[in-house]
Amino acid sequence: MTTAPRFRAVQLLLYGGVGLWSAFVLMPIAWMVFAAFKTRREIFTDPLGMPQTWTFDSFERAWGVGLGQFMFNSIVVTTGAVFIIILVSGLAAYAIARSTSMWMKLLYLLIVAGFAVPNTAVIVPLYQMVTAANFSNSLFGIIWVYAAYGIPFTTILFFSFFLDFPRELEEAARLDGCRPWAVFFRVVMPLSGPAIASAAIFQAVFIWNEFLLALLLLTQPDRKTLPVGILQLQGEFTSDWPAVMAGLSIATMPIILIFLLLQRSFVRSLAGLGK
Amino acid sequence: MADLTLDAVEKYYGAYHAIKGVSLKVEPGEFIVMVGPSGCGKSTLLRAIAGLETISSGKMTIGERDMTHEPPWDRGVAMVFQNYALYPHMSVRDNMGFALKVARCPKAEIREAVENAAKTLRITEHLDKKPRALSGGQKQRVAIGRAITRAPDVFLFDEPLSNLDAALRSQMRVELGRLHKQLDATMVYVTHDQTEAMTMASRIVVLNEGKIEQVGTPLELYNHPESLFVAGFLGSPKMNFFDGKIVDVAGKALTVAVPGMPTPITLTLDDDVQAPAFDSTVRLGVRPEAVRVGGDIPASIALVESLGNQTLLYLDAGALNCVEAESSDGFITAQLPSQHRYTLGDTVQISWSPDMLYLFDTSGRRLCTPRLAVAK
Repeated sequence: MTTAPRFRAVQLLLYGGVGLWSAFVLMPIAWMVFAAFKTRREIFTDPLGMPQTWTFDSFERAWGVGLGQFMFNSIVVTTGAVFIIILVSGLAAYAIARSTSMWMKLLYLLIVAGFAVPNTAVIVPLYQMVTAANFSNSLFGIIWVYAAYGIPFTTILFFSFFLDFPRELEEAARLDGCRPWAVFFRVVMPLSGPAIASAAIFQAVFIWNEFLLALLLLTQPDRKTLPVGILQLQGEFTSDWPAVMAGLSIATMPIILIFLLLQRSFVRSLAGLGK
Repeated sequence: MADLTLDAVEKYYGAYHAIKGVSLKVEPGEFIVMVGPSGCGKSTLLRAIAGLETISSGKMTIGERDMTHEPPWDRGVAMVFQNYALYPHMSVRDNMGFALKVARCPKAEIREAVENAAKTLRITEHLDKKPRALSGGQKQRVAIGRAITRAPDVFLFDEPLSNLDAALRSQMRVELGRLHKQLDATMVYVTHDQTEAMTMASRIVVLNEGKIEQVGTPLELYNHPESLFVAGFLGSPKMNFFDGKIVDVAGKALTVAVPGMPTPITLTLDDDVQAPAFDSTVRLGVRPEAVRVGGDIPASIALVESLGNQTLLYLDAGALNCVEAESSDGFITAQLPSQHRYTLGDTVQISWSPDMLYLFDTSGRRLCTPRLAVAK
């Protein structure tokens, strides 16, 4: 089959555009990875070139400042917060989607409004609340803060998914002996995979990379998450840039891994096919 | 197996009155089929029995227990849905055993119940497949199997065959009938397909605008419809109706004149109804199979449908105009046994035997029904 020349030209143009855009997006990431292998001097003398020797020294230095602990903290915080977000948002969205009450609709509007509040707007009162509750420098504490930030958006996402969820399945479950909680946990949630996957990716990426709240609420070195922990590689007078880049490269890996694992459901859900 | 009683059940959706005081007693082991046109409330009533809809007023009992306000999971009913409603994330085996698993039955017991049901429905080889790997007919069997596994007091079916093709539908009809005999269970079945109603029901409940029009065995309803609605609803092709006037009342004998008919017709009034007034409007009903070729009413052939085992003629009888006709042109429908050769536009003479005629008053109530005896 031959393709019409005009169509082929359009195709070339489109692919060219996408290729350029991808290069534009990937360049800083590639630069980060290459810079991690360079020496402190090389970064400044030959910023755009390839590393002279491929050495893992900077990775060792980065790991040496406690990257392992930061990563553990990040994993705990991200997993905990995402779990709470999915559970609470799922329950809230399901209750609202199945209710005919005006009050529930109003509640939904409030949740949507909550999503519109910028993070920085509430940062001072939030800091006061967290310290008053003795939650500063506590992973458990910041988990709840992140959960609170993530719940409105995820509730909106789940709400529209549940509106289209086939009612007969829920009715069949009720007739099969399920009380409302069992309907939710045994039938609705197991069939909400794509919605859960996209919510989990969105929130995990946000929490994993979150810097401002972590900087404010986690000051003890052994409590820091990756984004603030990596800052320790910047000294008062000198900065170990290759080690910073190595730390950032390590920090990026898990999130890319999660995306690769869940991307199918993620894309399906965004394309509205996850039903 | 239990009996089911509905007592003056009402259902409102805001101002809309969906179910208007329905009372019905379903005997243990009976196969009740609820039929009616779209929006007559049959599905709402079934869902109310299941507990998926609340009842606005009235009472419902299953066996000795008052179920009016019980939640669906405590009613002991199982339902087969039109769209199967199988859980896509579970295998056929898990779908069928789900209710028992929720009820925390021992695993061995669940396995046995599922395998017995699968054997009855001949789906044993599909037990480990996911629902998406099954055809429509197989899915419907699994949905029925899911209901059987639970051994409920009452089975509810909500138009379960309407998504299947014609061949599969008639096959499943036979199987459901067999299943009912085998399980000896109380079943309530909703459909808009009158073939399903006529072939499977112990008794048919005809619903119209939220009310019960008539309850009876299929042939009782077919032969002795209580109302114009039932007469028109049951039977395919539909009964022919003609508007006429009472021109003479002599005791039980009513004489009706229908415009376009050469002679007035005399019918015998049913024993339990009052005679209509002289000159009042009435509606005469003739089943298509009661129309005969040969007689004194000339009609031209507007359409011929040859079905092999029978021939349907649509006849244009001029001034003798059929009301609420199968075709909107007022044609008379005749159903002739076996095969005939007719040409469009031919004129034939038709007639009907006076003892095969139905008469209804203006409010649709029965005045005369034929004294049909069913051969044993």
